[in-house]
Amino acid sequence: MKRTLTIPMGSQHIALLEPLHFRFTCENEKIVGVDADVGYVHRGIELACASKFKFRQVSFVVGRVCGLCSISHTTAYSQAAERLLGLDISKKAKYLRILVIELDRLHSHLLCLAHTAENTGFEALFMQIMRDREASMELLELVTGNRVQFDYSCVGGVTRDITTDIEKELTRKLAKLKTDLEELYEVFRTNWSLSLRYKGVGALNAQQIKELNAVGPLARAAGVAIDVRSDTEDLLPWKEVGYKMMVEQTGDVYARNIVRFREMFNSFEIIENVLRGMPQGDLVTETKANPQGEAVSRLEAPRGELFYYIKGNNTPVLERVKIKAPTFSNVAAFIEIFKGQEYASVPPILASLDPCLSCTAR
Amino acid sequence: MQKIEVPFHQAHAKIREFYNVDKHHFIAMNGIDLGDKMEVQWFFSNYEIPGDVTMFTTFTNYEDIIPSLSDFIKSAWVTECEFYDLFDVKIEGAKKGFVLEPDAQDNAPLRRKK
Repeated sequence: MKRTLTIPMGSQHIALLEPLHFRFTCENEKIVGVDADVGYVHRGIELACASKFKFRQVSFVVGRVCGLCSISHTTAYSQAAERLLGLDISKKAKYLRILVIELDRLHSHLLCLAHTAENTGFEALFMQIMRDREASMELLELVTGNRVQFDYSCVGGVTRDITTDIEKELTRKLAKLKTDLEELYEVFRTNWSLSLRYKGVGALNAQQIKELNAVGPLARAAGVAIDVRSDTEDLLPWKEVGYKMMVEQTGDVYARNIVRFREMFNSFEIIENVLRGMPQGDLVTETKANPQGEAVSRLEAPRGELFYYIKGNNTPVLERVKIKAPTFSNVAAFIEIFKGQEYASVPPILASLDPCLSCTAR
Repeated sequence: MQKIEVPFHQAHAKIREFYNVDKHHFIAMNGIDLGDKMEVQWFFSNYEIPGDVTMFTTFTNYEDIIPSLSDFIKSAWVTECEFYDLFDVKIEGAKKGFVLEPDAQDNAPLRRKK
């Protein structure tokens, strides 16, 4: 006999890292309806950027949108502002931006994988991944000076250079991290118990991804080749440093995990190439102009496409700053993905979607 | 970025004519309060052409009801609900309380205050 239940989840829940509320309508164990509320952490950042801060300060304000992908926000905004100002930044600054973006991807993907393991009931695996992730956090601190809110990109370039010692430490720690991740990759690929929770669970196909306009590893795991890094060669030289698009086909939790691992291995390759080919040049290109007109900028953050629209009116304060974070694009897909799933699969599916509500609500 | 300005009453039809689900990725909807009217923008990228971004833009009064794109873009309701919350300009089918709490102190933070 069917029994219909409505089960609330969140806004505070053990499986959630940030406040998010779902209402699942279930027929026995099967989810037949989903409702979501993402509006718990709106902080008025877009309004502050267009009223209280000058455009040069905004790159540091948008870094506060999110602790995890702070680098993506500061870089995407800086690129939009540079477009408006007609600034051509040095190749060295571009290389340093790529370096921190990829370090950021490493720590963010590792957090997601750790959380996916935890929500599947593998506490030991969670702790092992978090231990390994610490290396990427230490490297970010070494390069940027901070563990979170990195404030690395600024309008015109970057705020800090790397020394020979930092370069050596990066090479040493990344080699160790790469070896550790190869072991973890084998666990995620071949562990039978994990595959029960991951394979064929929480899947969307390519057509659904396109219809729902999903982005990031969620889209690539379903075979949709969408990655802003392949689109924005004019902003950062991705091809030159060895970027490769990672695509899987099955669109389930397993495929999302595999995409993240493969992207991290590509990040190691990119960082090695960046360090090997680091050009000479200025850290910051200066200008005294004020932004006028409108510009957009896109950047592949760890969770997918991050989009900035800015409009300037030849004063130091911008007229409009619009931020569209990757999780915001994926909200419609989140709702579809749970339909037809067992309620017990919700935690690992949710973790594999890697939601960032801080970015979404801003 | 390619900018296409369309009359308000033709915005839905023009975007529908342009949009191809297999070709275009809907990025977001945006608004700018110009003081006496609103500028409404819709952004699209192209899966097939790297770096290609198209912006549709139109102008509207605060009292107008903006047509929803949800009938042909399944995910459009997310950005439309956010727009309604932040600007308090109505969009067909959009509900309040998606990004802001229903009892939020400022119920339209991006609307210019008189």
